[in-house]
Amino acid sequence: MHRMEPVETRKSVSQLRRGTVEYCVLALLRGGARYGFELVRELSGVDGLVTSEGTIYPLLTRLRKEQLVTTFWRESESGPPRRYYELTDAGREALDDFAKEWARFRDSVDAILSKEEG
Amino acid sequence: MTTMQTDRLVDDYLSRLEAAAAHLQRSRRAELIAEIREHIEAALREEDAAGEVAVRNVLERLGPPEEIVEAAEPAPEAEQRPTGKLEVAAMVTLVVPFIGWLFGIAMVLISKAWSNREKTIGTALALLAVVPFLTLAIVDSYSESTSSTFETLLFVLWVIGGLPSAVYLGLRLRRDR
Repeated sequence: MHRMEPVETRKSVSQLRRGTVEYCVLALLRGGARYGFELVRELSGVDGLVTSEGTIYPLLTRLRKEQLVTTFWRESESGPPRRYYELTDAGREALDDFAKEWARFRDSVDAILSKEEG
Repeated sequence: MTTMQTDRLVDDYLSRLEAAAAHLQRSRRAELIAEIREHIEAALREEDAAGEVAVRNVLERLGPPEEIVEAAEPAPEAEQRPTGKLEVAAMVTLVVPFIGWLFGIAMVLISKAWSNREKTIGTALALLAVVPFLTLAIVDSYSESTSSTFETLLFVLWVIGGLPSAVYLGLRLRRDR
């Protein structure tokens, strides 16, 4: 919060985050359906990915509306039923596309950034 | 007493969230609040603690309610195309002959919900309604003995002339939802 980042940098990073974090969510679901709460905890545990746990929920809603994920309820051994999230075929496809584009984008940005430095 | 205090913390947090989300659609707001409430309950169960410190930590990790709502806000492009009372009024007014067409077209032009292309097509469709009216007027003034069925047909076309425009504009709105 109190890091000495110029406003412009913070804006860019937050825009970058906005566009990429949803694919990180899709990637975490690649192995199968997951309990929403655990998903949020894992995502928030990754450094620099999200600003707070709460902001992940609107993102999950968006993914559901775009039909990239579906949700269902499952009984839990302890406590009330849990909401699970699962990738749809469209979600898997979107993730594969993004992963390819991202690799290209990342390599290009890295190449240019390191050239400027050297 | 402690339970009441921690409940109070959670309630305060959720009311802050509700207040911050006032501009969201009602169903979306309810859904968001339900999800956050589920999260808080799950987190406290997970940590097997319900003390004040535990609750404060859970809320801290969730982040400020305002930030959560900011993440839920619709993208700017969706914001530029809102459907509201103006659009509904425009479509209803377009169905009313004459005065309705004029006011309807004016409202369509003011609205930000339609693109320029959609506005042009909608306006053109509304103006088409003038054709049966003019035909009727010309036919009436030139001959006294036209068939009444032809006149009735023109009259009906004239009365429902605004419908195609209203329906077209309505469909364009729904396409974006």
